[in-house]
Amino acid sequence: MPRPNPDPNTGALNVQDPAFAARPQPIYAWLHEHFRVATTLGLGAPILSRYEDVVFALRHPKIFSSEMEVHMALGNERPMIPQQIDPPAQTSYRKILDSQFSRQRVLALEPAIRRHANELIDAVIDRGECEFDRAFAIPLPGRAFLSLMGLPQEHLELFLELKNGIIRPPVPPGDLAAAYEFRAKTSKRIYAYFEQVIDDRLASPREDLVTYFTRVEMDGRKLSREEILDICYVFFLGGLDTVTATLGCSIAYLAANPAQRQRLVEDPAIMPLAVEELLRWETPVMLVPRLVREDVTIGDVTLKAGTLVNLLLGAADVDEREFPEAHRVDFNRQRNRHLAFGAGPHRCLGSHLARMELRVALEEWHRRIPDYAIKPGETPRVSPGIREVTYLPLVWPKRGS
Amino acid sequence: MKVRVDPEKCVGHGRCYELAPEVFGEDERGHCRVLWEIVPPQLEEKARLGEANCPEDAISTSEV
Repeated sequence: MPRPNPDPNTGALNVQDPAFAARPQPIYAWLHEHFRVATTLGLGAPILSRYEDVVFALRHPKIFSSEMEVHMALGNERPMIPQQIDPPAQTSYRKILDSQFSRQRVLALEPAIRRHANELIDAVIDRGECEFDRAFAIPLPGRAFLSLMGLPQEHLELFLELKNGIIRPPVPPGDLAAAYEFRAKTSKRIYAYFEQVIDDRLASPREDLVTYFTRVEMDGRKLSREEILDICYVFFLGGLDTVTATLGCSIAYLAANPAQRQRLVEDPAIMPLAVEELLRWETPVMLVPRLVREDVTIGDVTLKAGTLVNLLLGAADVDEREFPEAHRVDFNRQRNRHLAFGAGPHRCLGSHLARMELRVALEEWHRRIPDYAIKPGETPRVSPGIREVTYLPLVWPKRGS
Repeated sequence: MKVRVDPEKCVGHGRCYELAPEVFGEDERGHCRVLWEIVPPQLEEKARLGEANCPEDAISTSEV
């Protein structure tokens, strides 16, 4: 008999439990009812899950800092910029980065993303089935990233291999030393790749992001080579997996809820609102860590300086205190201040790009493959942490049959 | 109706100018810019929609 998750007496939550990743919403509701401050199983790190608490933490980086050493765990040799740096230094970086990821800018990429989406659909549509993660959810954000960075599409396989080497190192489960070593080796290859790109763009500038980084001035100075590398590193890790996870979670939800899917097929104009609602309901980046810098009291619990806390974005996004009928997925929801992209100064830099990718992907998929379902007898698998649907077998009627 | 955005609070989610582009625009960084000194009556509903969807509580409307 598996132990219940969360533990009903202590509120200890196993965030690595695949069953939690697959269907977290009922557990979020339980936490809302019983524990304003829960804890993680094992480490005992506090978990905040109310909307008001999570948004307060996100907006107050002096109390809830993003600067934490534990986060070098992703193979990076220095803090990732701007994700692991707090204001005011972070603000300077955001000033030069935000303009490159504004809605205006990303809309210019839309035709390329639409073409990529259709090419991926072309490759599977006649088969009447696919494993969605491998066929679509993984390659689409990878291609978008390469387009954005001005890198050749032929490097897709290499990029996916490097990304997996960081996120899911191929070592025996639980062998932390081997995982650390594999990540360190992989990160050296990632740094080396971008070193070469920087050299190339210095020698022959282009109209692309890396060239921009080599030229832009921040607070009256140019970026150092290390700074450019640290920015590229976070783009690389942040831009690929998160959109993959959101595509998988969205299609898995729609495959299991045909009436909702039918609404998207019949009325594609609701897609922008539907994207927001799917982001709210699924919140694929379910939790983000912060380091407490000053003692702070949440409800009747005092969090001491030095404590690592988890902000359960997914739970905040189904909090009835913020969202009436929070457990109903409503593509017409008029007030939707979801935190799927975080909030405060660290609001996801790529949120406009992600929104556009999701909207275009769902528009094209439903235009061409409106009638799909999970393959009978199969169960999708969802990874913990970032909720990537790593196994999502779909079937649909073949054309002409 | 008057509508204001607090530039100290806005971080560029862009929910306002996506939902109500008639009332809100974006600056170079993608932060909110209010397009009207006084919002015309027919756009008041839109202004409220932007206010209701700001995750930072950065937008406020008031009657004049």
